[in-house]
Parts: sequence; C-alpha cells; structure tokens
Amino acid sequence: MNKRFFVFVALILVMVIASCSPSAGSNPSGAGAAPAECASDAFGCAKIAPGQTIKIGMGAPMTGGDASFGIDISQGGRIAVTDAGELEGFKFELIAEDDSGTAEGGAAVANKLVADPTVVAIAGHIFSGATAAAIPIYEKVGLPMLSPSATNPPLAEMGSKVFNRIAFTDAIQGKFAGTYLYEKLGIRKLAVMHDGSDYGKGLAEIVRDTFTSLGGEVVSFSAITSKESDYTAPLAAVAATQPEALYFGGYTQDGAILANNMKQTGLENAIFFGCDGTYGQDFLDRTGANGNGAYAVSLTPADTDSKVKFDAAYEAAFGVKPGTLSPYTWNGYDVVAALIAQVKAVAIKGSDGNLYIPRGALVNAVRNLKDYQGLTGVFTCDAKGECNASGPLLVTIQDGKWVVAE
Amino acid sequence: MTALSSVSFKTPQLVARIIRSVIGIIVVVWAAMRIYNVLFVNQAYGLDTWVRFGITGLIIGGMYALIAIGYTLVYGILGMINFAHGEVMMIGTFGGYFVLEALAAIPAPTLANPDLNFLNAQPLLSILLAFLAGTLAASLMGYLLEKIAYRPLRNAPRLAPLISAIGASIFLQNAVQLLFSPQLRDYTNPDALARGTGWSIEIAGSQVLVTYTGVLSFVLSILLMVGLYVLVQKTRIGRAMRAVAQDKKTAALMGVDVDAVISQTFIISGALAGAAGVMWGIHNGLVYYFLGFIPGIKAFTAAVLGGIGNIPGAMLGGLVLGLVESIGPAALGIDFQLKDVIAFLILVLVLIFRPSGLLGAASVEEKL
Amino acid sequence: MKLQESSFRSGLRSGTTLALILMFLVLIGFNASGAALLARLFGQTTLSGQLPPAIFGIVFIALLAVGQGISSALASRRRNAARPWVSSFAAAGLAGLALAVFILVMGSLYQNGADFRKTLYALSPAYIKFLTVDQMPIVGAAISLAVMLLAGGLAGLAAIYLPFGTYWQRVKTMFVRFWNLDGSRSLRANRYFKFGLYAVLVLMCFFVPRVWGSYWNYVFGLVGIYVLLGLGLNIIVGLSGQLVLGYVAFFAIGAYSVALLNAPIPHNLMWGFWAAVVIGILLAALSGFLIGLPLMRLRGDYLAIVTMGFGEIIRVLLKSDLLTSFTGGPRGVQDIRGPSLFGQSFSSDIDFMYLIILAVALALFIASRLQNSRVGRSWIAIREDETVAQASGVNTTRYKLLALALGAAFAGLGGVLFAARNQFTGPEDHVLMVSINVLSLVIVGGMGSVPGVVLGAFALKGLPEILRELANYRLLAFGALLVIMMIARPQGLWPVGRPSLQRKEAPDSPTENDKPNQEAPNG
Repeated sequence: MNKRFFVFVALILVMVIASCSPSAGSNPSGAGAAPAECASDAFGCAKIAPGQTIKIGMGAPMTGGDASFGIDISQGGRIAVTDAGELEGFKFELIAEDDSGTAEGGAAVANKLVADPTVVAIAGHIFSGATAAAIPIYEKVGLPMLSPSATNPPLAEMGSKVFNRIAFTDAIQGKFAGTYLYEKLGIRKLAVMHDGSDYGKGLAEIVRDTFTSLGGEVVSFSAITSKESDYTAPLAAVAATQPEALYFGGYTQDGAILANNMKQTGLENAIFFGCDGTYGQDFLDRTGANGNGAYAVSLTPADTDSKVKFDAAYEAAFGVKPGTLSPYTWNGYDVVAALIAQVKAVAIKGSDGNLYIPRGALVNAVRNLKDYQGLTGVFTCDAKGECNASGPLLVTIQDGKWVVAE
Repeated sequence: MTALSSVSFKTPQLVARIIRSVIGIIVVVWAAMRIYNVLFVNQAYGLDTWVRFGITGLIIGGMYALIAIGYTLVYGILGMINFAHGEVMMIGTFGGYFVLEALAAIPAPTLANPDLNFLNAQPLLSILLAFLAGTLAASLMGYLLEKIAYRPLRNAPRLAPLISAIGASIFLQNAVQLLFSPQLRDYTNPDALARGTGWSIEIAGSQVLVTYTGVLSFVLSILLMVGLYVLVQKTRIGRAMRAVAQDKKTAALMGVDVDAVISQTFIISGALAGAAGVMWGIHNGLVYYFLGFIPGIKAFTAAVLGGIGNIPGAMLGGLVLGLVESIGPAALGIDFQLKDVIAFLILVLVLIFRPSGLLGAASVEEKL
Repeated sequence: MKLQESSFRSGLRSGTTLALILMFLVLIGFNASGAALLARLFGQTTLSGQLPPAIFGIVFIALLAVGQGISSALASRRRNAARPWVSSFAAAGLAGLALAVFILVMGSLYQNGADFRKTLYALSPAYIKFLTVDQMPIVGAAISLAVMLLAGGLAGLAAIYLPFGTYWQRVKTMFVRFWNLDGSRSLRANRYFKFGLYAVLVLMCFFVPRVWGSYWNYVFGLVGIYVLLGLGLNIIVGLSGQLVLGYVAFFAIGAYSVALLNAPIPHNLMWGFWAAVVIGILLAALSGFLIGLPLMRLRGDYLAIVTMGFGEIIRVLLKSDLLTSFTGGPRGVQDIRGPSLFGQSFSSDIDFMYLIILAVALALFIASRLQNSRVGRSWIAIREDETVAQASGVNTTRYKLLALALGAAFAGLGGVLFAARNQFTGPEDHVLMVSINVLSLVIVGGMGSVPGVVLGAFALKGLPEILRELANYRLLAFGALLVIMMIARPQGLWPVGRPSLQRKEAPDSPTENDKPNQEAPNG
C-alpha cells in the first residue's frame, strides 16, 4: 500500500471511466420514430443522425511489413467513397483501422468497429488470419463483410452469414492454371513453388494436383521463405530437376525476384507462371527484360471506361499509379463501392430525419449481390459468400507489357 | 518442484555432458546419413548446382558479416545488443538509392548516345557516390541513435538499452514508411552493373553465372573487413576502442575519451552497415522500410555464432551462416522453406559444444 | 550582456532540435493528424481521409512552440541567464523560420504543379495547401512564422513571470500533506479500509466487463493475457536472470494445444477446453524443461539468441509443408471451440474476461508467493551471481530449469486463452515480435517486479490500442514512447526493492547497488 499503488489504481479507474462512457448500449433498435422494418429485422437498425456519416469499416495492415497492402486497399476504397456521393444528405466514410494482418489485430479492430453503432458494413479484412478472428465478432451483431483479398478457402466453409469475398478462390484459378500449363503450353515437367503463405500454398497445391491428374509430372514442389531478397539457392535446387516451367503461388515481392533469379540459375528457358498475386505494373518494372514470356492471372479486365476513370482519380489523389503498392487496389475500390451500393438499396429515411439501415436486411443484400459490375469483374455471391463469378483472365508479358494470353 | 526433486542432480555437470554428447551424436549421425543420401544415393544435384549454392552463400554471407561486425563492435564496447542495427542498414540502403535515382535523372548526353544519363556515363563514380551516401547516412544514423537512445542509459540496468533499441527500431521502421511510403522500390543500377549479368563459367557441362553485383559485393565486403581489422589493430582509434572494450574506467584514467570512442564505434559500425545496405540494394534490387529486419536478425545470429564481441568471429559467423543457409537445406535434402530451422539448429549445436561461439573466448564457467 | 547572449544561443540550439523534429513531423504528414485530433477536442470531426480546417494546423504548431518556449525559458532560468525568455523567442523563432522556408519553397513549387509524392509520400497538394493556411505561400509562411514566434516567446514570458511554478508547488505540497496526515495514514493502515478496497476491486472485476462493451473487454483481455505472459517471463528473466528471446514458442505450444484439440479441422478431437488448458500448460512446461536441459551452460546473450532461434524454429515448422497435415500449416486452425461450463457455453467476451481475470489473479498470487519463497531467493541469487550462488549451495541447474518450466507454463496458459478467445490461431500469431513485446513489458515494468509486469502490460499492449487515435502514426509514437520510457525510468516503471527480509536479518551486510544486472561487458 504505497503511493504508487494509489496512483496505479487511480490510473486504472480513469481508464475505466474513460472507456465506459461512449460504447455503452449499442444498437438501439426500433425505438420511437424508427420505421417498421427495424422492429422486424434480426439485428435491428443502425441509426444515423443528421451530421453523422454512414461508416464502412475496414481492417487492414497499415503498419509492419505488409503495410503497403492495407494502405493501398484503403486508398482504393477512399476513391469509392468519393464516388459514392451522398445518400439522402448523409455522407459515407471509410474507417480503415490497423489490424497488422494478424488474428490479434483482426479481433481488436473488429471489436472496435462493432462498438461504433454507425458502422454498417465491413470492407475486409485483408489477410486471412485477421479475417478468421474477426468473422465471429461481426457475426454476432450482423455486420456484413466483403473482403477484397482474403483467399483462404475454409473462411467461406465456416457457415458464416456475414462473410463474403470478391477475391478469386484458389480452386478456380489453380485448376485453370494447371490445365493451361498442360494443354495450351504443352508443359510436361513442372516445378511448383509457393511462398509459404496460406494463399500461395493453396494455389500451388491445386496446380500440382490438377497438373498431375492430367498426366504431367511435377518434378519439384517446394516453398521459399517469403520476403527475402535472393532466391538463387532454392532455384538452383529446382533447376537441377530440369523443369520446363515454374509455377509460383505468392506475391510480386517474391515473384519478381524469382523471375529475375531464374535467369541466373540455369532456368533460363523455363517459363515463369505466376498467379493473381504476381500481376501488376510492379512486376514489369522489377523484372524488365527477364519478365518477358512470364504468365500471370489478371484481376483487372481490359481497360474499361470506369477503370480508366478510377486510375486517373487514384493517381491524382495519391500521387502513385494504382497497383504500385499492391495488386489489390481495384479490389479495394470494388468492395467499398459494392457495399455502398447495397447500403443505398436498403437504407430508409425515417420521419424523424434520421437514416435507418436495417442490419439484417443489409447482410442479406450483400449475400444476394447479383451481377454487380465492378472494376475487377462481375460479382454474384453464392450461398457461401464467394462472389467473384468472372473467370480468371490469363495474361502474359510481351515486349514489356501485359497482354491477354490466348 | 516435486517433479524435479525426483530427478537426481547430484552430478549436474556430468548429466549435462552426457545429454550434450547424446544430442550431438544423434544429430551428427542423422545429418551424415542425409548428406550421404543426397550426395551418393539420390545424386540430386550436379557439381554446377553445388557451385551455385556456394556462390549465393558467399555473397549473402559477406553482407551478413559486415552487418554482424556492427553488432559485435557495439557489443564489445557497451555489452548491449543494438537491436536497431538492421534499421541503420536500411537507412544506408535508402541513402544509396536516392543518390542513384538522382544521378539517373541527370542527363549527360554524348554524341553517340543523346539519352545517356550521368549514372550510365560514369558508372564507377556513381556507384562510389552511392556507397558514400549510404555509409554517410547510416553512420549519421548510428551516431544519432547512440546519442539519443543509448547514451542516457549508459549506467542503466543491462537490459534497458536493449528495450530502448527495440523502441528505436520500431520508430525508424515506421518513420521511413511514413516518409517514403510503404512502396517497394527498385534499385537503379548502372547498365554496366545490371542485376543478372555477369561472367559465365562452365562447370560440369552447364553455365554457371557469377554476377557482377555479387562479385562487387563480395570483394567489397572482404576489403572492408580487412580495412576494419587494420583499423582496430593498428590505429590509434582502434587501440582506444580496444581499451574501452577491456575496461572503461581504466581507459578513461589513461586519457581515453570514452564517450568519443563510443560515438566512433557507432559511426564505424553504421558505416559498415550502410555499405552492406547499398550492396544489398545493388545486388538484390529492392529497397523498402522493412528491409532491415531480416538481415538484422540474421547478422545478429551470425555475430553470436562467431562469438559476440569478437570481430574475426563475426566475419566467420556471417560467412558460415550464409553458406549454411544456401547449402544446408540442399545437402540435407530438405525444403528451402526450412532453411532458418537448419541455420538455428546449427547455431544451437555450435553453442552447446562451444558456449561462446566459434571464436569466442572461453566463458567463466568453462574455466571453472 | 554576455549572459543574455548565452540565453539567445541556447535558444538557438534547442530551436534547431525543434526545427528538425518539426520538419520530420511535417514531412510525415503528422501536422494534419495532430490538427485533426485538436479539431476533435473542439468538437469538430474530420472525415477520415480528409484534412481538418487549416486553422487547427496553426493551433498545432502554436502548441509545439508553447511547449518549446516554456522548456527553453525554464532551462535558461536554471542556468541563471539574464533574460531567460530570450531563449524562448530564439528557439520558437528558429523553428518557425525553418517551417516558413519549407512552406514558402514547397508552396511555390506546388503552385507550379510540382508533385513530390513519389518520394515524400505525405506531401499531397491538399496537404501543402493545408500548411499554407489556404493562402499564398508567402502569406502562409509569414503566418506560421509569426504564430510560432509569438506563441513560443509569450509562453516563455508567461512561464517566467507568471507564478505557475508556485501553483504546481502548492498542489504538490497539498498532496504530500494529505498523504502524511494522521487520518489518511491510519486510514491506509486500517485493515477494514484495505478489505474495502479489495472488495471494490473484486466488484469492479465482476461488473466492469458487463458494462464497458466488447472492445474494452477485448483490449483488457489482451492486456490480461500479456500479464500472464509477462509474469512467466518475469520468472525466467527477472528472477532467475536468463535472457530468453523465444518465449513465443511456449505461447505457441499452448495456443496450438487448444487449437488442435478443439477444432473440427485438422483432427476433430474435441476434447474440450478444460482438458486443453491442462495439456497446454503441461506441454509448455515440459518443452521449457527440455529446451533448458542442453542449454544450461549458456549465459546472457547466447541463451537469448538460441531461444530466439527456438521460437523461430517452432513458427517455421508450424507453417511448413512438413507438418501441414498435423498443424494446419499456414492456414492456421479455425473455428476453435470455446470453453463450456456445466453444459453451458462459456465463451462470450464477458465470460472470457472473467476467465482471464481469474487466471491473472491466480497467476499473480502464484508469482508473488514464489518470489518471496526460498525458491525465489535462490533465483535471485543465481541472477546476481551464478558462480557465487553455486558455491553457496544453490543447485543452479535445477533452479534454472525450474524457472524455465514454470515460466513456460504461464505462457502455455496465456496461449490457450489467446487461441480459444480468438477462435483462431495461425503461425502469424507466433512471430518474434510477441517475444520482444513480452520482454519489453517485463523490462519496462521493472525487472523482477510483479506489479511492474501489470503496469508494463498496460504500457505495451494497452498503449498501442489507446494510440489508435493516431491512426498510421501509432507505432511511430509507440516506438518513441518506448525509448522515452526507458530513458526516463531505466529501472522500469515500478522497480523492485530489495527483499525486506534480507534487510531485517542482516542489517550490517554491505549495501550493494540497486542495479542487479549491471555486468561489465566482456570484450
């Protein structure tokens, strides 16, 4: 019982009091002038008073080694918010919180966003680990999620009502790539590599299985330690098995180094075959001449009008071209834009001047997304929340440019 | 408590020695079997592949060694782990990057080639300037780091500077991210030193490429190490550093300005890290704010492997670690994903039998 | 005259530092965030992704100048300079000048269409416009300079000539007087009062989790888990003096015990949470023991790096293709079942908060009992000097192993709670940063001090959450605060005193210094 103890207790008390006041009692539903839809809704209504904004939450890594993903995707989302304009005089706002890409951060951010009654939907999360920890928290209060990039297959298998994603599922892309390698390119000896992440590994396994089932030989299946700067040693080991092509599941940061190092390690004649994580302007810049002939899967269809408009807006707002920070810039735009469109569809202007957004209806609206035209394709969500219905688009580098492969 | 009481510890030294020996024998036998398998049964790799592994290992090992020397110098003098050393290296990489970018933007047209820029017109000078800028930036960072984050903790408990260093490391990473954006940038090399070009050597019927950037890095790191050795052994500064490392109080009594020597140590270790950073950029081609983290950890490991506080130990440790990382997984027939496992296992093995590292002085306990 | 000059000069010197810091803040775009925070204090919210009104930017730099003005003036007065306020004007003026030049140059360049965002990311045209107070660059520069000069200088004058110092003194004496008052002293000594306090604490533990919402339950639950981890590592590092940097390995073992035993994929064992708690703790303790066995010869930083390697090995293995079928690989383990009690599910955020509070209370009890026991004193003896401890009959190997195993057990419990609460765990939960965080919290709190661990956990895990207001700057601020905390209190926030038992028994023993682990570096 000394002075420090009292200071300590006082400190905790202050923190308790400080933290208590705002968050108590969220989701006041069906009171007073609220429309009838709110009373019947499973999760009640979000009430937006005049002067407040309609908030779209986002959990993304904004610090640490993967910060470029979070910053880029949230910037893409901000353009969508600007484009969305107003709804009955209410502005939209994107609240991007830092979840460091980890489960711990994901749960913290989810709990924080849930505490804010004006958050109506979640654009995210970005990484699968953070998403997995966040889903149960959103599930409880009925916040619909639309993730731009969490590709881990089991996420959609957990039977969640709120989780949806527009990221390619590994299965479709992997099968497509494996078949293309065997049938179109006539490859018989394939080396498969991944970066050890859930995303890269999932893809690599499906490509391996598809390729073997078609009758090809996977001469080597290996993994690298992600985020290193030199992969000549693992590539030299792969080269000893003399593959005709190298499939890589992972992101540009590693993929570009691999494509470069291949030319130094006896894989000069093997084809580098990437995935949607290795597509983008960045890959071109970093590989230069070494990249020629490499394949990737594109997230972004040919330059549509809306995409050209977005690219210009993004560069004007942030000073860099979309796609330089991560391959998911356009997905970031799409998820926020799609969520806002659904919010607009279900929102009800109350007679008291407040805006009411029935949460349960919004959850259903997002799950029932149909033929939504985004920058990166057409989205129609299935019963599990897989929304990217457009097929993968295969691209290859010719003369330093990505072109659609036959 | 009770569970442990039943185990006899009457002769702990003996028990420990038996355990050590058993572990050692098991691991060595297992490794030998794996290596035999890879080399003679599977014959997975030809000589050319082994040479490739070796080259990769030496190049990266040289850079590890340079960074490890920084850890070792600081440890020798202050007895602290400079956890922010990887970030100092990253600052050096950025220093070189901006100089190269600037030089590439300066036009130096000739009649034959009107599009020529300064970088390609004067590649040697440009590279020299880049190294100069990188080492200067990193030395300055090292100096500031010591002055701001470590000097006030000179007489604090032993682990306080470690935490201060961790804080500084987090700060520097985020500062660079916020200043220059989290974007991954490409290092601009002069065309003469383009990555992926080099001499082709024919070994066992296939062409093995020895890149210019790799040779440059390796030769430069060896030169810098020799230079450092001379500096520490033959010059006045070096003598003062060794004196301070031995005994700060006595050195001060002999007229050595201890604070100045410590500052110099940080400047030197920063310069080496900066040089390693520019090499890293030129050879590997990427620069971003998180770049220093992995080399920092690896070099720290290398410094301990060689015997922390011991300069030749750091050099040896760096090279050994580089080689183990590139050759180890292949020799044991294991996926390269597990190369860190192998590197750390080797470290554990070495330390079990030589608790002070490969070249470290015998610890107190060993003398007993 | 000479004295005044020195005051001016010292002002310039501290002004240079402020100018550098200010330039850094401007370049990372912090001015806008700081201004947005200020704007919120005045009840004006800024939409995220947009800039606050420029006036708050001016308030922000004015506040910086005020701080600098006060501190330079006080510093000059301490040196008995003739006109201490001169240094305030000099310092704030110099920093203002630097800012003004920056605004002038950048403002003019940007008016001509320059864009430096490829290099300096924060410098968007809108931000430059914000810095120039929406005026011509020259006007904006002039405003900034004038505001900083005046705010800093006037603050310096105020600090010297207004009796703030005496007010502060008076408050301090009042507090001390109240503290030493007979009434308050006897009140503090009164056992009913003590019981009352404890009762309030217990009631708070019961009711607060129900009131303050899931976010604060989550944050304080996390702090609680880190208290557990910190208590464990405190036994290893703080008491027995073994520097372990791979503590996350034991955490991972606990987390994966509950994950593999209680999730449908990959094994679908469903043994229940409580079995997993026991198994997790035992496995972690066992691994601590086994790791310790061959490493008992290692000291200090060698042990640190080996254990760090062990932590990394565990993480890489968890993630590797080799063990995917067993651990779930990089995907981790989803859908971990939470605990149930008497057939009822016991896994809401409130229930978990109770569980964590219970675990922390238990751990606090065990840790403080251990510390004051014979075992605890043996550990401290080993920490102070292993050779001497051995010579005086302490079985060092046994006690060091015991410390490792016990510390690991705490981490196992923490891991079990962590994974069960998130209903997910994966290799990315068990990175080196966890070990570093736990080590930092033990040292920030004060090595070997149980209440220090609690404070440290608040500082290390609570602080980043509180700093969320700073958005992308939070880790920057966190790193800086870590350095400042260590410099301000190198012994930790709540350093441990020497055990009072020793003092009573041997009043004549030579007093040692209070810095137990200050070893001479071996060169």
